[in-house]
Amino acid sequence: EEQLVQTETWKAQSLQELVRILHRIFAEDKLSVEEVQALMESYDSNPEEWLQYAKFDQYRYTRNLVDSGNGKFNLMILCWGEGHGSSIHDHTDSHCFMKILQGNLKETLFAWPEKKGNGEMTKKSERVLRENQCAYINDSIGLHRVENTSHTESAVSLHLYSPPFDSCNTFDQRTGHKHKVKMTFYSQFGERTLC
Amino acid sequence: LPAGLSQWFPALEVLDVSGTGLAELGAELLALPRLHTLLAKNNRLGGPGSLPKGLGQAPLGRSLRVLNLSGNRFAEVPPALLGLRGLQSLSLGGNRLHGIPPEIQELRSLEFLYLGGNFITSIPPELANLPSLSYLVLCDNKIQSIPPQLAQLHSLRSLSLHNNLLTYLPREILNLVHLEELSLRGNPLVVRFVRDLTYNPPSLQELAGRTIKTRNVPYAPSDLPENLVRYLSLASNCPNPKCGGVYFDSCVRQIKFVDFCGKYRLPLMHYLCSPECSSPCSSASQSSTSQSESDSEDEASVAARRMQKVLLG
Repeated sequence: EEQLVQTETWKAQSLQELVRILHRIFAEDKLSVEEVQALMESYDSNPEEWLQYAKFDQYRYTRNLVDSGNGKFNLMILCWGEGHGSSIHDHTDSHCFMKILQGNLKETLFAWPEKKGNGEMTKKSERVLRENQCAYINDSIGLHRVENTSHTESAVSLHLYSPPFDSCNTFDQRTGHKHKVKMTFYSQFGERTLC
Repeated sequence: LPAGLSQWFPALEVLDVSGTGLAELGAELLALPRLHTLLAKNNRLGGPGSLPKGLGQAPLGRSLRVLNLSGNRFAEVPPALLGLRGLQSLSLGGNRLHGIPPEIQELRSLEFLYLGGNFITSIPPELANLPSLSYLVLCDNKIQSIPPQLAQLHSLRSLSLHNNLLTYLPREILNLVHLEELSLRGNPLVVRFVRDLTYNPPSLQELAGRTIKTRNVPYAPSDLPENLVRYLSLASNCPNPKCGGVYFDSCVRQIKFVDFCGKYRLPLMHYLCSPECSSPCSSASQSSTSQSESDSEDEASVAARRMQKVLLG
């Protein structure tokens, strides 16, 4: 766990500035979760600044890479149509920050399944994240499922993962069985990725 | 909406009146010949007369491709919109629907149907007659079973069933070869193997029907009362490839588990014509639990080849 060396109060006036400050913070290799979370929250979502990355898919949520953080982090925008949700997943030993840019997302926290367990996974808590709020999770906290439960509004979220990772485990809520999956980008730097 | 709308803006293609408190969409919209997208979410629509009469025959009825009525107060699918033969996308999410009318099949061009967040308890088999349907959302309802006919939706790429009251799925779901996304979380799906041999002996009508079908006894519509002609057309084939029999109402229900891509097991309902029949890939009729688990493995590889990504739990 990183030591809190100094608490800076950052205010990111734009998405571009947020990225700039993130680069500076991560160059120091002294990650303070509180510092990054406060920075992410300080950015007032302005759709004009991120609309170019917000590419929706009709069938499922999309991951759109915004910045690859000099290899230290990945910053991406996720677009959730009505009713779109993720599976229960872990974060491959990385830090995960999730800020709502538009709409609302429900986050349900689950406990890690028992090693020998073969039963329903235990729900720890759930909450609805509102616009501009930023949540944090890592594997020691638990697993989560993220969903847009609205049937009328789409949702957009900004995610930061450090270190970057391209695979994780998804979990079957009924049995706790896990399965490794590879994660892909729907678009990178505003350009649609064809797979 | 102003009465002169179609005169002032005859070239209007997209109209968004979401969140304006409208209680009805009036006749002033009917003469808009270029309007293809009408968004009217989060309003007070739902009473009789919410949609203008004669919608299907009006210029608007021919041009409309996308209609979003989510977040309103519809207790039934408004009959006025069932005449929209060119409609490609319909959303009635977050309303108060208790069912889906079989006339939904008249929306011949429908590709996208969003009905999540209602009070729907069952799905009419006629829904399967929509030839172009590729995205079907039925999440957050009260659905207890899926009609096997839904497997006829060959174009279906995404099926959203999460947060309903499903305990099993029909085995025909394996036939949806283009299905890429399937959400099932939040359903009371049976987890452990259930051997449920509920068998009601067949009626005389059923036995006669089976004989006619399996022996290919010829008959013409003029030979039989209309209700019996219809009855004979509803024969289902026994999935046991060695059987070749048919059944009508009397069948054995058995839940088998199929592993998709080695990830999880889905309870699929098998219908057989008698307890002596067994499903394809299963050997003895009296299988122990371990035998049935390995039976599921065979079926799993068949299923895994067909279905790609399944979002379960």
